[in-house]
Order: sequence, then C-alpha cells, then structure tokens
Amino acid sequence: MRVSVDPDRCEAHGVCTGIAPDVFELDDDDVLHVVLAEPPAERWGEMRDAAMRCPKQAITLSE
Amino acid sequence: MSTGVDDINLTDPAFWTQPLEDRQAAFATLRRERPIAFFEEPLFGDAPVGPGYYALTRYDDVVEVSRNPDVYCSGMGSTSVTDMPPEAAEFFGSFITMDDPRHARLRGIVSRRFTPKQLSKVMDDVAHIADEVIDDMCEKGETDFVADIAQPFPLLIICDMMGIPRSEYQTVLDATNKILGGGDAEFVGDDPITEIFGAGMTLTQLVNELADFKRKNPGDDLTTALINAEVDDDVLTPQELGAFFILLAVAGNDTTRTALSHGMHYLTQHPDQRQIWQDDLDGVTGSAVEEIVRFAAPVVYMRRTLTRDAVLSGTELKAGEKVVMFYGSASRDESVFEDPDRFDVRRSPNNHLGFGGPGPHFCLGAHLARRELSVMFRRLFERLPDLTAVGSPELLDPMSMPLVTGVKRLPVTFTPSARIGGR
Repeated sequence: MRVSVDPDRCEAHGVCTGIAPDVFELDDDDVLHVVLAEPPAERWGEMRDAAMRCPKQAITLSE
Repeated sequence: MSTGVDDINLTDPAFWTQPLEDRQAAFATLRRERPIAFFEEPLFGDAPVGPGYYALTRYDDVVEVSRNPDVYCSGMGSTSVTDMPPEAAEFFGSFITMDDPRHARLRGIVSRRFTPKQLSKVMDDVAHIADEVIDDMCEKGETDFVADIAQPFPLLIICDMMGIPRSEYQTVLDATNKILGGGDAEFVGDDPITEIFGAGMTLTQLVNELADFKRKNPGDDLTTALINAEVDDDVLTPQELGAFFILLAVAGNDTTRTALSHGMHYLTQHPDQRQIWQDDLDGVTGSAVEEIVRFAAPVVYMRRTLTRDAVLSGTELKAGEKVVMFYGSASRDESVFEDPDRFDVRRSPNNHLGFGGPGPHFCLGAHLARRELSVMFRRLFERLPDLTAVGSPELLDPMSMPLVTGVKRLPVTFTPSARIGGR
C-alpha cells in the first residue's frame, strides 16, 4: 500500500499526524510530508483510519 | 415536552426556544425512530416556500453526506434550509455556498493563514487580547459573560486578522448580530429581511473602503491577501470581496462567542469537570476544548442538495431534494459516543462533528477556534479562578431554525481581581 497526500487539499488539521506520527509529519510551514510512504501491512488499518478521518479528504491510499 | 416522534417539528421556531435538554431528547428520539425525517420548510419573507427537507440526525449519515460533495452539493440554492434569493446571494454567496473547483480556489486564498503554525505567529496577539478583554471586566465582581468576554474576544481577533480598524468594531458586531441572530427581534426589530440585507450592505461597503486603503497601505492581514489574490486569472470583484469578508467576519465571530458562553455554562453545571480541568491545564485543555465544541455544537446545521438520485441508509432521495445535517445530534449519537449526554473534559476518543464532517467544507477556522477557546479558558482559570455562571444562559429567540445556537446573556460572578495592563 502506498500513502500520498494532496497538498492543495491539506490544511494541516493534524488528524493523521496524531494517528501515525511516524508516517505523517508537518514541517515548520505546516506542509504535510509522508515520511513512510509504504508502511508495512500491520499499519494499514491506521492508514485507512487516517484517510477516512482526514477533515479535508487529502490522503489517498493505493494498493 | 416532545413525547412522540410525530410531535417533533424542527421547522417550528418554538422547538428552538425549548431548553437544551428537551431538544437533545427530541433529537435522540429522531436518531432512534426516524433518523432521516422529512419536514416542511420554514417561511422566509415572501419568498415561495420550498419543497421541504430531510433532517439527518445520525453520525454516519452526516459523515456520508459530508464526504460525497459530488452527490450532496453546496452550490444549488444555498447551505441554509431555504434557498437564497438572488439579492441575498450578492452579499452572502461566498465559497461556503459553492462547490469545487471554484470553492477550493477561493478558500485557498486564505486557508494557509489558518494553519496551526501560521496561527502560532499570532498566538501572542491572542493571549494579549484575552488579557485585555479580562482587564476590562476583572474588577467588577459580577458581569454579563457574553457582553464582556465571549463577544469582544473573537471579534477583536478576527478584526485584527482582517485588518479592520478598531473604530469599526461596533459596526461589524452589529452587522454580524443581525446576520446570524436568527431573526431575533432584539437585533433586527420587526423587519428582519430589510435589516439583514442592510447589514450585508454595511459590511460590503466597509470592506470596499478598507480595500481601497489596503491597496495603498498593504499589511500582513487577510484583506490585503484578498485584494491581491487572483482566482482563475482574475482578481476578486467588489461583490466577491464583500461576500468573502462577510463570511469570515460572521463565521469568525458568532461561533466562538457561542462556544465560550455555552462552555462557561457547562463548567458551572459540572463543577467536578471544571475541577479536573483547572487542576491540570496542560493535560486537559486540548480535550476539554473539543468536548465544549461537541457539547455546544455552535453551528446547528448545514444543508446540502442532491445533484442526482441517491440512496442514503435505505432512504431514496431524488435529485434536487435537500438534506440538512444536524451536527449537535450527530455528535451525541450513542452508536459512536459512549454516554453521549455526559460532559467529560477528558473524553477520548472524541471525533465529534462540531466543525463539520470530513469534506471540502470542514471548518476553515477550526484551529483558530481551538486556540481562542484554549487561551481564554486558561487565562480565566488563572486570573479569575472562582468565575461562575449564575442562572441559565439567555438564548436567541429565533424566528425559525437558527444557524447558530447563540447565547445573548450569561450573568457571572467572581472575586474581583486587579488589572494586569495590556495594550
């Protein structure tokens, strides 16, 4: 599974960084970076949770 | 009061002046027995009465609708229950009543200004303004919490962010009260429609004068950002600028005022919860603020309109029909929240919908609102630790379903304390 973020949608609400701080990171300008783009299978549940709960629907998961 | 599900009528203005507990009980009945309930539409002036709306009261349905703007759009008619007449759209038709891509382009002009780190640059200002507001009341011993705290605080902040001079604050306050007062006669007298349009005109005039000034004297404020913005290779027209400004001024004002006022009331009603928060400001402030927003649900509802036929939780909906999402009800859905009517400052998880559901229109000011609530309650606990509400909040007296559960007055008492001096 690959995790990506649409920077035009993201408004740094920080829901994903709360769920998985080692996967999603906000930099000093509040720009979101995916630091672990292909997390292992045991993390997919968290990734789905992050994508579902993102207030701006900015997270895309691709198999 | 509302005993059976057939007795509940969300369109009836009388529903909205019942005590909060009775309203919550009615919403619990709807969630249980008729989660997608059809109601007739309210009258709006002499406009033709619309076809009615479906009230969505369950969490999952509100999330589903929020997540699917292609089916449930914002750009047909309005996001209020009644369609906006064209003359109202001139003042009140900003990006909240648009769909992507135009919504995203307009929102994008200002959205980066509302992220946490951008806001932390104005954090000092927020704390300063909190102290300044408290200074103006801290020696009194008793006062009206709405007039002295909840009203001036968010107003001063949003006006500062927008670059509005302080001489115009009263104008902005009066206009936003008219626009979001739900037709309460205290704000609009006997002629609400004229008064509401007049308020729109006043704010449009104000921002266009301000824009002229900012073109010559640009600043680090939202108005300067708006006049320099290009959308689809074009600058905003005076009308677009006016509607944008009205949206920010109105949304930035009444919502936080309402959350602060209800918050003060809940903390008085629940002294145990207040103690938990006051004993551990660093540990509890974050979750306490979320719980206030969940419990108060300052924004009562937003409407969406079907772009095509769809089925929602088994209910067949047709293109053109209206659905209205009731955020306070969704945020007390017992299938999602344990013991939902309990005010719990440490509630976790707390994925409430007080800022709206996930989707393009999620509250732009969520970070700002959280910061305002955090800073103000912290400063109040530190400076006026025994501040207590006396009596119940006096709620708006709306003509029909209100957009904001406004509080007009909330008397409070406290041991007087010295000013600390601000700006």
